[in-house]
Amino acid sequence: MRLSSRLTTGGRINRDRPLRFRFNGKDYQGFDGDTLASALMANGVRVTARSFKYHRPRGIVGHGPEEPATLVQLEGEDAAGNCPATAVLLREGLSARSVNCWPSPGFDLGGVAQVLARFLPAGFYYKTFKWPGWHLFEPSIRKAAGLAPAPAQPPSSGHFEARRAHADVLIAGAGPAGLQAALEAGRAGKRVFLADEGSEAGGSLLNRTLSIGGRPALDWVANAVAELCGMENVTHLQNATVWAYREHNLLMVNERCPEQDSILERSWRVRAGEVVIATGASERAMVFGGNDRPGVMLAASVQAYVNRWGVAPGKRVALFTNNNSAYAVAADLAAAGLIVTAILDSRRHIPQAALDLVPDLPVHPATVAAGIFGHKRVRAVLAAPLSGDLAKWIRCDVLAHSGGWNPTVHLWSQSRSSLRYDEDLAAFLPDSAVQNCRAVGAAAGDLTLDRIVAGGADLPYAIEPLWRVDVPVQRGRAFLDIQNDVLVSDVHLALREGYANIEHVKRYTTGGMGVDQGKTGNINIIGTVAMQQGVPIEQIGTTTFRSPYTPVSFGAIAGLREGTVLLPYRHTPVTQWNVDNGAVMYEAGARWQRPGYFPKPGESLQEAVNRECRAVREAVGVYDGSPLGTFELKGRDVPRFLDFIYSNVMSSLKPGEGRYGLMLSDDGLILDDGVAFRLDDHRWLLSTSTGHADVVNQHMEKLLQTEFADWHAMITTVTSQWNNATICGPHARDVMQALGTDIDLSPQAFPFMSIRDGMVAGFPARVARVSFTGELSYEVNVAPRHLMALWNKVMEAGAPFAILPVGSESNHVLRVEKGFLSLGHEVDGTVDAYDLGMGWVMSKTKPDYLGKRAVMLRRAGGATRRELVGILPQDPNRQIPEGAPLTPAGCKEATEGLVTACVWSVVNQRWVGLALLENGHARQGETAHVRLQDEVIPVSITKPVFHDPDGTRLRS
Amino acid sequence: MRYDVTLQRCGLSAVFDLKGAADALRNWAGDMLPPLPDHPNTRTGGGGVELYHIGRKHWLARAPLAQEEVLEAQLKPDACPAEISIVRVSDTLSFFRITGPDASQVMAIACPLDLHETVFGADAVTYSELFGLKALVLRCEGGFECAVEQSFGDMVEDYLTLSCRQKPV
Amino acid sequence: MLLIPCPFCGARSESEFIYGGPVRAARPDPNVVSDADWVDYLTVVPNPLGPVQEHWWHARGCGEWLTIWRDTRTHDIVEAPDEIE
Ligand SMILES: [Zn+2]
Repeated sequence: MRLSSRLTTGGRINRDRPLRFRFNGKDYQGFDGDTLASALMANGVRVTARSFKYHRPRGIVGHGPEEPATLVQLEGEDAAGNCPATAVLLREGLSARSVNCWPSPGFDLGGVAQVLARFLPAGFYYKTFKWPGWHLFEPSIRKAAGLAPAPAQPPSSGHFEARRAHADVLIAGAGPAGLQAALEAGRAGKRVFLADEGSEAGGSLLNRTLSIGGRPALDWVANAVAELCGMENVTHLQNATVWAYREHNLLMVNERCPEQDSILERSWRVRAGEVVIATGASERAMVFGGNDRPGVMLAASVQAYVNRWGVAPGKRVALFTNNNSAYAVAADLAAAGLIVTAILDSRRHIPQAALDLVPDLPVHPATVAAGIFGHKRVRAVLAAPLSGDLAKWIRCDVLAHSGGWNPTVHLWSQSRSSLRYDEDLAAFLPDSAVQNCRAVGAAAGDLTLDRIVAGGADLPYAIEPLWRVDVPVQRGRAFLDIQNDVLVSDVHLALREGYANIEHVKRYTTGGMGVDQGKTGNINIIGTVAMQQGVPIEQIGTTTFRSPYTPVSFGAIAGLREGTVLLPYRHTPVTQWNVDNGAVMYEAGARWQRPGYFPKPGESLQEAVNRECRAVREAVGVYDGSPLGTFELKGRDVPRFLDFIYSNVMSSLKPGEGRYGLMLSDDGLILDDGVAFRLDDHRWLLSTSTGHADVVNQHMEKLLQTEFADWHAMITTVTSQWNNATICGPHARDVMQALGTDIDLSPQAFPFMSIRDGMVAGFPARVARVSFTGELSYEVNVAPRHLMALWNKVMEAGAPFAILPVGSESNHVLRVEKGFLSLGHEVDGTVDAYDLGMGWVMSKTKPDYLGKRAVMLRRAGGATRRELVGILPQDPNRQIPEGAPLTPAGCKEATEGLVTACVWSVVNQRWVGLALLENGHARQGETAHVRLQDEVIPVSITKPVFHDPDGTRLRS
Repeated sequence: MRYDVTLQRCGLSAVFDLKGAADALRNWAGDMLPPLPDHPNTRTGGGGVELYHIGRKHWLARAPLAQEEVLEAQLKPDACPAEISIVRVSDTLSFFRITGPDASQVMAIACPLDLHETVFGADAVTYSELFGLKALVLRCEGGFECAVEQSFGDMVEDYLTLSCRQKPV
Repeated sequence: MLLIPCPFCGARSESEFIYGGPVRAARPDPNVVSDADWVDYLTVVPNPLGPVQEHWWHARGCGEWLTIWRDTRTHDIVEAPDEIE
């Protein structure tokens, strides 16, 4: 076993718990507490990735979410793509693979292509792979340059969960500043939500060897965590990233591997009174030739591997810095027994406090790294004095560089709070807050422990920015964005081509657009643009910080919403009976699961539908009409309200009577068709179409609450208080009689379009004589608790008449035979009542009602209207697809209409249809033409009714 | 995960929807009902009847189902004056109970409301959301009671089962 | 996800509400107003860069139709501008 780079002591790992894992098909071993990155490093794996565009070999650069180079794809149980190796916690049996390389990062076929293709400059994709040829390139580009593929399967065990939480204070980050803020708020009795992306609290203290009050800083962390743990008002999560800051202090948190069994990830939506942003700072890279070679690492990350994971990324380390923080790194490395071969500092004057930390180490002031020797591994760094003196190679196997520190202002900026550029820190800092939030600690620019916790000892921070190395002896490519392979020359090219705005530079070069969102490199892109344009950096500004801060899996966002509960569904008390009786069920509007049809074994859809339709036309059928929207209206002003929202007059109805009507919006669109019944002087019942019930409710409530607040009308939704079995067909009255009722069923006592209360089959019922099929119908409404019992009695009472249950497919056929409207078919935003041949529904007597003026205005324009007609295919056996266009004489011309429905009519024994056709009413008897892609079908134009045109049957 | 809760899909309650001005309602039904709650989204109780103030000029009266006929006879929905509306809606709501030590964790999955006892006290009752559906939410002994439109009852049962990895009883 | 103040319920999550569009000019008497003014009434909808008064329905809540002033640039719920009230 090779654990070649593991130090013999130290690190926050459990050496008693070895873990086996696989990487690119090879087996390795690490320890509990490792990340995949630290374990790979401990195993001496130095080339861990290939780059996105050029397929250059890459190693591990960072130690946290900033990692730009090593993205892996997890395999097996928790398959996921594009995870930074630094953010993957090691566990037994973990299996991972590098993205962007095949067959392995050490021998990569894409890398061979790199030799051939040489260069892919900025905007290459935009310039080369564009319409009309894009589809030719796309598959191979996606394969060669793409990131990890999406997992083929959802995880086979475990599930995601999404929750809400509410807090007085949300604290993002459990480093010293976050813990301090949590202690203060927690002790004050506030409800605290503390979330930290790391596997344990402590933030940067975990990576360093600092002290607080003379004791190790991590003792202070442990005490703080213990105290918080004892507070009931504190929720403290680790492995939980605050990844979005939304409006009104809503924050999104993604918790990975929560303690509970079987939960893969849990997302939290936290609404907080106050937000404390304690997200720390992240180190930025230096830009110099060869800065992407495996072994070129961020200085603080080298320090973290040594201190936190007990791993030596190399034996001989050279450092390159423009600020003080690297000196603390050098001191820690030397203390751990690594050889520090040089500290190259671009500054001429180095603060004495920094030098005092490393009295025995070779410091080279005013010197920069200008090149790297080594391909798959650093062998030496070219140290170039800024004076122009001779550059020389210095041996090392790791180059640790620090370009300074950026306060992690992502959340701050997402909240729309502003930033300012601070000259002393050479970084963008939180400025003024626009939501109730504040930044603390390093996120606020307090980059050293002494400024955060009383008694904390730290080296003061000082920096002289260096946005890129620019010396004549520089060799090799200098990368601004390692993940997207964006070079200094790409930014220069973008500027030359006119992309001057920093947001344009980002899109054109793709710099800062990767999984890491340019956490280490963006500032250097901004600096490079500023240098090139000769303006101060604050004038360039930053690109917009958008959520997510780090990638979030879709599963965590969706939570439990998958499988059967992906979409809401509604049942009636008869749903299970329908299923048990062989119905083919599907959603039919407003989330209701309804029976489509009831096939017998071996029967086709059409055969089943014909059988059900014949039952209704010749004997009797029954369907579950429960989903129809039903509203009870009460109040003195209901009559005038109904007259205002329906196009016809409702106020003249007497108790027990009902009327069909159209509801229009004020711009003349048909909102709904339905029936209004008057129950008594002040009580009314509205029945709406299933699909529009919610919209009608919203419409009525809005009018009554906003425009006519002084009108007295109250609405109660009773859709689920009254469920119904609708008995329809010539034998409907016989079935009603057999059920037994105290309602006089004679057509004189209980005519069409009336409503009666009474007992039916022993149940309190409200029976309406409406018809959606054109046959004699009784809509028997009972309380849902009684519907199943009623249903059974209907089937029993109907048996002598061969009653059949009828699905929505047959309902469709029956209504088309009668030419009854279906809002989704015959009515769209262009159709009015006159077009439908229903001018009678538009009251001439009412001076005003919703939609009246708009319809009149539109018709006054005199434009040609599409009007509802019936169509008979001249070949009676020819079915026409619904939606098929009609064109003049069937020519390839603009359409003059469309077929809205076409069904096999059992009464006519042929296909019949409905269509909207220009000037259709005047063209009855003529021939129109349906134009399909390779066929023209002649159809005869008729009235839109194919059965019982006088309505004698439905009134019988 | 399997939360430490008991899920219960409840049978019907007698529920009457009451709308109108408080005075008019008091005049008609004051004797039959507990005192009208003073504050929005709170409840009162008495005589086996609970009164939920769940909207402007809007209350729900709830009682055990056995009291439904008596209540209906007292409230006389068909005969009440034009100023108020009384509608029997017992069948409209499907009630669920989520009780036990982890009840508030399950509610945090289902509902966007802040249900902390300092915010949502013992007498609190309100319409909010349960799995994205309109739902009545209130506290009960040891947990929470929720009600959705009856047609969504199966779906909510399904969702609760998934949330807690256990079936309601 | 906004936090919308309902006059009955207090601040509630936007998910409980249905957007009802900006508050528009009062409906003119259709029997008096000119065609052009009627068309304006139907089609001209406030769409400012800044505070706009809009309707929201507390549909999955108490059922109240309410209005708020929302700044379209920031989503902040703000006081009514001085010239309005
Ligand atoms: Zn409300």
